[in-house]
Amino acid sequence: MTFRRRELLGLSLVAPIALSLKPALAADRADVSREVLLTWHKLILELVRHTATYVPPVAARAFAYIGVTGHEALATGNPALRSLAGQLTDLAPTPARGEGDFDEPCVLHGALTAAAQGLFANTGPTGQRSMEKMTAIMGRTAGEGVAGDVVDRSMAHGQAIAAHILAWSALDGGAVIENMGFPRDYTPGTRPQDWVPTNLIRLQQAPLLPGWGGTRAFAIPSAAALDAPPHPEYDETPGSDFHGFAQEVYDTGRGLTDEQKLIARFWSDDPMLTPTPAGHWISIVMQIADRDALPVEVISATLAKLGVAQADAFISCWSTKFKYNLLRPVTYIKRHIDPKWEPLLITPPFPEYTSGHSTQSGAASTVLTAAFGENFSFEDATHKDEGLPVRSFPSFAAAADEAAVSRLYGGIHFRFGNEAGLAQGRAVGAFAASLRTES
Amino acid sequence: MRALGFCLALAAPACAEPVIPTFIDETATAGLSTVYAGEWEYMVGGGVATFDCSGDGLPEVFLSGGAGPSALYLNRSPVGGALAFEKTDAVTIDAVLGAYPVDIDSDGVMDLVVLRQGENQLLRGLGDCQFDLANAAWGFDGGDAWSSAFAAIWEKGQTWPTLAIGNYIDRKEEAFPWGSCTDNWLHRPEGERFGAPIPLTPSFCALSMLFTDWDRSGKPSLRVSNDREYYKGGQEQLWRLDPGQPPARLGEKEGWKRLRIWGMGIASADVTLDGYPDYFLTSMADNKLQVLKDPSTGLPDYADIAFKSGVTAHRPYTGGDLNPSTAWHAQFADVNNDGLADLFVAKGNVAQMPDFAQNDPNNLLLGAGDGSFVEAGDKAGIASMGIARGAQVVDLNLDGALDLVVQNRWSGPEVWRQATVLGGWVQVRLAQSGANRDAVGAVVELRRGEKIERHEILSGGGHLSGSIGWLHFGLGQAETVDLRVIWPDGSEGDWMTLPARSFHILRPGQVAEVWQPR
Repeated sequence: MTFRRRELLGLSLVAPIALSLKPALAADRADVSREVLLTWHKLILELVRHTATYVPPVAARAFAYIGVTGHEALATGNPALRSLAGQLTDLAPTPARGEGDFDEPCVLHGALTAAAQGLFANTGPTGQRSMEKMTAIMGRTAGEGVAGDVVDRSMAHGQAIAAHILAWSALDGGAVIENMGFPRDYTPGTRPQDWVPTNLIRLQQAPLLPGWGGTRAFAIPSAAALDAPPHPEYDETPGSDFHGFAQEVYDTGRGLTDEQKLIARFWSDDPMLTPTPAGHWISIVMQIADRDALPVEVISATLAKLGVAQADAFISCWSTKFKYNLLRPVTYIKRHIDPKWEPLLITPPFPEYTSGHSTQSGAASTVLTAAFGENFSFEDATHKDEGLPVRSFPSFAAAADEAAVSRLYGGIHFRFGNEAGLAQGRAVGAFAASLRTES
Repeated sequence: MRALGFCLALAAPACAEPVIPTFIDETATAGLSTVYAGEWEYMVGGGVATFDCSGDGLPEVFLSGGAGPSALYLNRSPVGGALAFEKTDAVTIDAVLGAYPVDIDSDGVMDLVVLRQGENQLLRGLGDCQFDLANAAWGFDGGDAWSSAFAAIWEKGQTWPTLAIGNYIDRKEEAFPWGSCTDNWLHRPEGERFGAPIPLTPSFCALSMLFTDWDRSGKPSLRVSNDREYYKGGQEQLWRLDPGQPPARLGEKEGWKRLRIWGMGIASADVTLDGYPDYFLTSMADNKLQVLKDPSTGLPDYADIAFKSGVTAHRPYTGGDLNPSTAWHAQFADVNNDGLADLFVAKGNVAQMPDFAQNDPNNLLLGAGDGSFVEAGDKAGIASMGIARGAQVVDLNLDGALDLVVQNRWSGPEVWRQATVLGGWVQVRLAQSGANRDAVGAVVELRRGEKIERHEILSGGGHLSGSIGWLHFGLGQAETVDLRVIWPDGSEGDWMTLPARSFHILRPGQVAEVWQPR
């Protein structure tokens, strides 16, 4: 089903919200639910940025579990919503609500509090302090005017949902991240096209998360099933196709316009300095939710599907990356074109093909296009706090295309890595887009 | 062994194996006891200051106490003997993150700049290690912030110093403290008092500052190391200070390259012996050693040589914890008196961060003579697993061998005496009449064979830890050293030859005055 802006506004008035409250209050409580959902996600964007293990694939995984938690918490009390249990790999039916009245904001708050504390148990002292403060602040917001026994019952149910999701997450193979995601022992490849480290950071002399492709996927049948086709044949000969792609990166880098530099930095989304690429798309949805006053059920369903799509995109992309283990443009260019060349962006410490940003953006745009339509325009102020301007896009697909080409401008991907990544991501995203969140 | 192996692999056959000093842990008997206490508001800080306020030449020790009281300890150590300190009630204020000694009013009595949660304090030295609060008398606005970095310099034409104070997070922010870095301040003098603080906007949660003449222009600039955990849109910074002009931040157009790290401490020394200061920047996981790429360009464009120099110090080298390290105070000093710069790095987890080493030993990286360094903290006996923050590497008993005092979070200070004086040494103290009595901003040059080794005399840097006192230089087997001072006004002192194992006071235009500990 495609939601359009006008329809979304209408939906917020007519959606069947199963609250044991007076109708006049129900709309108010829906607003509180929106606030709880969006404020927790605002904090989670920060926690992703400020937790050292939350490199992009790990961050995408967390967004998926948080998103599913939010949707499932609402779905247990709303017959119009459909659980994702049975649709996502190994997700068993979530706990049902017991007897008595429940309050949706409190259910949601209980679920998100527990999910955040579980997924970000390893964050630093400031993150811990912020979760504590948020628990108190949102607890007051959610519980205001609600009977104490209803608050307690609702919170407990939300926590039970979160516990169910966390137990499911613990077995996916991606729950434990050591050494910030870099293996302590790594044997590099010996072929000329094999990836080699591209910086002088000791921790990054091994590639990031080489086993991530084996993580349990959410909605796709397997990482291998969504593999990309082989990249152009490796060749060091001037005039060869491969050399030409490297030459394009080199020439593009030397002639970058200010707009291209801005695009490269806008989509750079560096871990530990931003909410990562996955968080960028979560941020886009949050901005649209705010602009269009989307109903909480729509926001939560969208965040769940988006999270799943991005997590699956990283799993399939990482599988491809370590299957081909292709070197980065900076390595090739320094060896065969110009030993002094440096890209605009810092080259990420893992193989080139396919582009992670492109794959994940392709998946994200597919889910969001399915939800909101082909020509859904929006503005993106994700990096306003970082001093980067707001950018406008005519569609999600256009944003994904820009995210992909930004990696060429940044000098860290070949064009073929971006294009194959986009295609791979769009194929992945179709699985998440087909998930049913309504009965 | 890992570090030495790296050194051999990279630099053979030139890589020598330095002599490893032996330190004796005298924490239990030395009398230092102030704990750096407190929770979130004190996750950074824990500074150590050393300076002589009793007039006997021995450095006193000030330990910041965080949420608890701080303390000044008189140094009662016999020359060459066991370390001994007597706790005083001279400076017992709380909410202190660190302190730096500076003779602000140039009366020959050391003052103390105290950085706090809340109002910073300038403590005027009264003599005999007594102090009084001089904020009002000196027109100093102590503000109300989370102050976490400091540097001082005498700008040209000024009789009072310019004080730079770095500030950290807005502690009033609850759920969203990220991006809340508050302004750093530049306190410039107006005659013999301070004017209103000038905000150094933008500010990015500074944890170390240093006035340094990075390009040998004669005009020190302000280097600021910032904690990327809390800024948005931030980076490391370099500010140009022209007398009488507003401070100007250098950007890409001036050749400054964006670097974003968990900046926590700056140590400076001319490690590469190219005549320009190099900077070691502490962080989490890999640390940085920055060298000016090409001084002839005049651009502040630095290369990171930490990897090839063996000073990334990115994870514990002993103790079995393989998670990445967290580094705080750093200081170059020649601990084994072989004439080569060594590097001490204080290590410790922020607070129960499970992705970083919980058992994170301090580093002692010994210069090997070919540009590389060899880890020797464990062999030297200083590989403490305490949660270190501030420190000072300083000769606490005036025997010519550098000792070490480290402040740890929650568990209290540790102090080590170096057991044996390895090699020759000389210690000098700079003394001017008039303003800037301790010659902050001067350069001491040592001639070692064909090389001239330059040492900037600085006030600031490290992690909330600073010292003014004897300047220690190792001499190896040499019995003399040729040395001269370039004073802060640019005047060049004559080269002089000083004998090994001696203390001298150096004054502009005068012969060196021999000094002996009593």
